[in-house]
Amino acid sequence: MKNKLFEKYFVFSPYFWLVLFFFIPLAIIFKISISVSEWGMPPYQDIFLFDNGFKINTTLENYVYIFSDYYYIGSFVNSLILAVISTFFCLLIGFPLAFYIATSNIRLRNILLVLVVIPFWSSFLLRVYAWKIILQNNGILNVILLNLGITSEPLQLLYNQYAVIMGIVYTYLPLMILPLYGYLNKFDLNLIEASKDLGLNRTKTFFKVILPLSVPGIVAGSLLVFIPVVGEFIIPEMLGGSDRLYYGKILWEEFFVNRNWPGASALAFSGIIILVLPIVIFQILYSRWSQKNEI
Amino acid sequence: MDNNFLVIENISKSFGDNKVLENINLNISKSEFFGLLGSSGSGKTTLLRILGGFEKPDSGRVILDGMDITNLEPFDRPLNYMFQSYALFPHLNVFNNLAFGIKENFTQKEIDINVRNFAELLSIEHLLNRRIKQLSGGEQQRVALGRCLIKKPKLLLLDEPLAALDKKLRSKTQLELTTLQKKLKITFVFVTHDQEEAMSLSDRMAIMKNGLILECSSPEEIYENPKSLYTANFIGIANIIEIYKKDENLYSDDLGINFKLNKELKNTKTNILLRPEKIKIQSINNLKTGSFNSFSGEILEKSYLGSFTRYEIKINDMIISVLDQNFNSNSNYNFPKGEKVICSWESESIKILED
Repeated sequence: MKNKLFEKYFVFSPYFWLVLFFFIPLAIIFKISISVSEWGMPPYQDIFLFDNGFKINTTLENYVYIFSDYYYIGSFVNSLILAVISTFFCLLIGFPLAFYIATSNIRLRNILLVLVVIPFWSSFLLRVYAWKIILQNNGILNVILLNLGITSEPLQLLYNQYAVIMGIVYTYLPLMILPLYGYLNKFDLNLIEASKDLGLNRTKTFFKVILPLSVPGIVAGSLLVFIPVVGEFIIPEMLGGSDRLYYGKILWEEFFVNRNWPGASALAFSGIIILVLPIVIFQILYSRWSQKNEI
Repeated sequence: MDNNFLVIENISKSFGDNKVLENINLNISKSEFFGLLGSSGSGKTTLLRILGGFEKPDSGRVILDGMDITNLEPFDRPLNYMFQSYALFPHLNVFNNLAFGIKENFTQKEIDINVRNFAELLSIEHLLNRRIKQLSGGEQQRVALGRCLIKKPKLLLLDEPLAALDKKLRSKTQLELTTLQKKLKITFVFVTHDQEEAMSLSDRMAIMKNGLILECSSPEEIYENPKSLYTANFIGIANIIEIYKKDENLYSDDLGINFKLNKELKNTKTNILLRPEKIKIQSINNLKTGSFNSFSGEILEKSYLGSFTRYEIKINDMIISVLDQNFNSNSNYNFPKGEKVICSWESESIKILED
């Protein structure tokens, strides 16, 4: 009996964690998002008032405020586009790499896996900062381009959306490679040979056999990249310019510069709902589909 | 018969320092069921993979029906390969697995007709909508076979076609496979480590060891007249006896008896093969020990196998295996352990192993 009780707690401990550090903070954010703003500390009124009898003091004004201003919606759209593009490039680079790692011999495979993971050993901030040094006007890349005579004056490589995409793809690539590797590692290489034997060339074999069977890995890797990139703050802040504003940055400004806590909370809460709901629906549909297809 | 349908010419292959195949030459006729038999590491699977196009030989050529296919990609070769693991596509159902190789060039109607015909031929027409994981091993084997045959290949390569099946299903499938092959007249080349499988399926078979072909002949010929000690031991049960010329006779030190052969010995010392079913076993009361081709011994072990009884008979320092057919159902017919018996054989039953 005692063991069973322990097992129960052990299994459910991640859920306690989730409740404590996800659902409770989310509830607090939701509470602030429907509060009325005011000047002061904290910069919002309580939602339950007891002055002259009990009164609920809530408003949807904060939601109206952020949804009526394209400044906020636009930043969210920008972030979604950024996430789509970055996920696409991570997949484009990550898939062949993961496939190569999964199909190489065990010694080479271990070396390559370590190489994929090594960046995690240094600070994330330092790695992004390193790109700043590489891309700046008198940085390594510009020096090389100038010396080779490819350009006559330094290129503006930093502080634009392309630098942001590059930084994100660089940073998030391992998160794409590792789950993909996990799935491709189990891939029966005979299936590729069988496909070729039955008359399909390399391209057709890729689209008819390798790709359909890698869907679980692609989904796992893509979600792992897509979701955090939508809210990414540091990379656009360090490598991005004023050409595009992103959701994470707007959220930060709303909280810490404008001190509009209810507005920022409404923005954060809407973001989570807009992002999480389709993913939950997708996951449900996907798990049904994959069960049906036995992948 | 066209003996040059499939010509394997001087094929050699190494992986690093490891020589897997050394100068392999084979000619296989059209519609032949050809077996490659060897233990693991003999190079048989590598040879089959070279025929399939999955490995490139270091040297040599493969010619199929007059066409040099040595450098063709697997998808350009007019042959198919059935994998030991079957390699069925888990994301497709049985119908689409069967149709996989003909989807490119056939219309939907032709695909339907072909899939149904081959499903019927293999008695899997009721499984067409199933997923691969819902199939038994035997059913998977049929789908794998059908997926290849539907392409009407000139040559079908089979890697351990029956290894994944349980024993009872295996003998049933063996028979079906030979019937099917004779019916479709497609040339089959298969690889196996199981000598019984090789014997029952093959029209001809090659015995491989360490990247070499030791012998290539019909199963009967290889069993009855093996050329080498390795083949004699590898196929069936073998009593190998060393004999040498002593005075006018041929003598075995181990058995302590004289042999009489109907053939002259080349060397003064050689090994002979005596298959266990060629030895006649009689009660010691019935016969006197002759001076040639017979010996008396004591039954050491006995195992009753139904149609046969296998005896291990000790004589001097050697143990000889004898298979005795159980002609009548009288259990007294069997000799008990410890009984002294006389074993004898015809001179023609003794085979000289040259090397």
